[in-house]
Amino acid sequence: MKLFLIIFIIATVQIVFPQSAEKWKAKEISYQHKKMEKRRDYSFSGNSAGEVLSKSFINIYRIFFSDVDGDNCPFNPSCSQFFIESVEETNLFQGVLMFADRFTRDMNFVNRSGKYFIDDSGRYYDPPSLYTLK
Amino acid sequence: MKKLLIIIFIAALASACKSQDELQSQYNLAQELFKKREYFDAVTELKRLNFFDSTNQFSFQSCLLMGKAHKAGAMLNDAVHNFTMAGIFSRTDEEFYEAEIELIRVNILRRTSSQAHKIIDRLLLDERFISKKDELNYWKGWAYIFEDDWVNAADLFSKVSENHELTNFCDSINDQLYSATLAKLLSVFIPGAGQIYTGNYLNGIFSLGWNVFAGWLSINSFAEERIFDGLVAANFLWLRFYIGGINNAQKFAEEKNLAITNNALDYLQHKYGGLKP
Amino acid sequence: MKTYQILLFLFLTASAFPQNLNLHSLENKKKFADHLFCEKDYLRSILEYESILQSIQNDTIKFKIGLAYQRLDEYEKSINIFNSILPNAESEFYHSLFLMNDFNLFRIKVNNNKTDANPAVQKLYLFSYFFTDDALPDWQKFSETFSEERAVESFYEKKINPGYKSEITAAILSAIIPGAGKIYTEQYGDGITAFIATGLLAYLSYSNFNHDHDFRGWLFGGAAAIFYAGNIYGSAASAKIFNAGIKMNFENELRLFLNQNNYFMPEYNFCK
Repeated sequence: MKLFLIIFIIATVQIVFPQSAEKWKAKEISYQHKKMEKRRDYSFSGNSAGEVLSKSFINIYRIFFSDVDGDNCPFNPSCSQFFIESVEETNLFQGVLMFADRFTRDMNFVNRSGKYFIDDSGRYYDPPSLYTLK
Repeated sequence: MKKLLIIIFIAALASACKSQDELQSQYNLAQELFKKREYFDAVTELKRLNFFDSTNQFSFQSCLLMGKAHKAGAMLNDAVHNFTMAGIFSRTDEEFYEAEIELIRVNILRRTSSQAHKIIDRLLLDERFISKKDELNYWKGWAYIFEDDWVNAADLFSKVSENHELTNFCDSINDQLYSATLAKLLSVFIPGAGQIYTGNYLNGIFSLGWNVFAGWLSINSFAEERIFDGLVAANFLWLRFYIGGINNAQKFAEEKNLAITNNALDYLQHKYGGLKP
Repeated sequence: MKTYQILLFLFLTASAFPQNLNLHSLENKKKFADHLFCEKDYLRSILEYESILQSIQNDTIKFKIGLAYQRLDEYEKSINIFNSILPNAESEFYHSLFLMNDFNLFRIKVNNNKTDANPAVQKLYLFSYFFTDDALPDWQKFSETFSEERAVESFYEKKINPGYKSEITAAILSAIIPGAGKIYTEQYGDGITAFIATGLLAYLSYSNFNHDHDFRGWLFGGAAAIFYAGNIYGSAASAKIFNAGIKMNFENELRLFLNQNNYFMPEYNFCK
């Protein structure tokens, strides 16, 4: 019985974990749980008047509407966040087009798990970088 | 001839002792490296010891030490494997118990506390370890802490001793926690109440406002026999903010609880003076 | 006299019993290092082999170090070691170079050195063309070199004819019928949704204008226009994503094939 147990245990640990090429060192394990996803960022990171203005509108939208009706977006980043990042990565016109496309995809509730990958936050991962046509 | 055989026997014994010495000094080398916190090298020397220790004389000690080295390096899966092997190679009840306790502690740290509970429950029923009941209950309490079950944790610590420091601590944490169910129920009956209960006052007031506004809009539309408008208002405004408020109440309760729990766990890890996993 | 013989006999037997008394002797270190290598504890085996090399020089040990680095994905280090024991390690040298994924560099190196006699390297050389967009050599060269013909032939055909969708076609289709471009790129649900959304908003705009609700008419009309334009853009983007998906699936198949055939490298019997 013992021999069988030994062989069984050795066999199950032959799962190949990716090995490091460095000697590992002492490391403390934190008792704490993993932190939840980042809260909203209401700060103004842009310098131009256009970016400050659009961030103000987004903040008003978020505080009065989006924060109050719950987390409805199945995607990560959320649709408003997607819009902001699209405008930052390209320009306002292209950002609006990308947002319209994202909104259409948001309305289509069929077969999401077949097309999108679920990430750590439990939502479907759909970053703007996939759609910038670069 | 008999004399010669005796001499050969003594020679064999002497060389067996010499190899025993060699293995012992190898084990001592590994221990030195462990004390110097050079855990990777300690594991290397222990593996060397195991490779040449064909009669398994040192298997228990080396597996135990290897488990402790891996635990120090945060390699908990390897540690579990090592401690399990140590339990298999144990020769006495004390050795077996030592390996099992280490196994329990690593399972708690690894957050596979169901496994820890299984081992503890098995040991509690074992007649050989009746005297160790307090220690086992102590670790069972820790397993509950890592499962966020502060009520049961406090209960277990009170079994260890009356007025145990951790009993009071767990009770105080439990008192601070919000009830997600209560938050949701509050928002079901009074939109916004759940959010206010969890301390998100602005959000709660807005939620109440939207629900009142959307409700008035929908009912007004129906009263004026504009059914389509009423349905649109009810579905896209009222329902959305109502359900959203309930979900938000739950989410806020969970977020606050996570912060409280993480605070407590941080205190236990860095400020609590007793035995830790 | 007899005592002397007995003492001599004693001495001999005492030293004959287990030969592995010294765990850190060179021979025992080698046995232990081989054991670590076969247990796939590659980093430890490397450290152990390197400590042996401080006392003696041995090409087989260097070769094993190179293999261990390769299995740890440390390709540069393995290349340096294989380079130092060429020509014996020629196959593995090119194997590591191939794994670095710089196929142009790989091909340059193969061409600069005489590797015609090495079938494994020739196979890798031809296979590398599946990963890049350079002109593909004739099929005849492939069929001469590879014995696993059927699989390689399917790769060759997929490389010539990948089945990409055109971004411009997708955009034009969506300009004619909203959503058609997405259906072309096999995003059927998104295509239908786009069609319904654009159509509904256009209808609402038209209906409101007819009832003299001009503001609402413009509102819905503007929204319809934005969704229409967004769908054209999104169709082009989805064609690009579709093509990226094809490419990724193809490369995964190639790598799976390579792994199954051990990159055409010979089998070693270190651990049998």
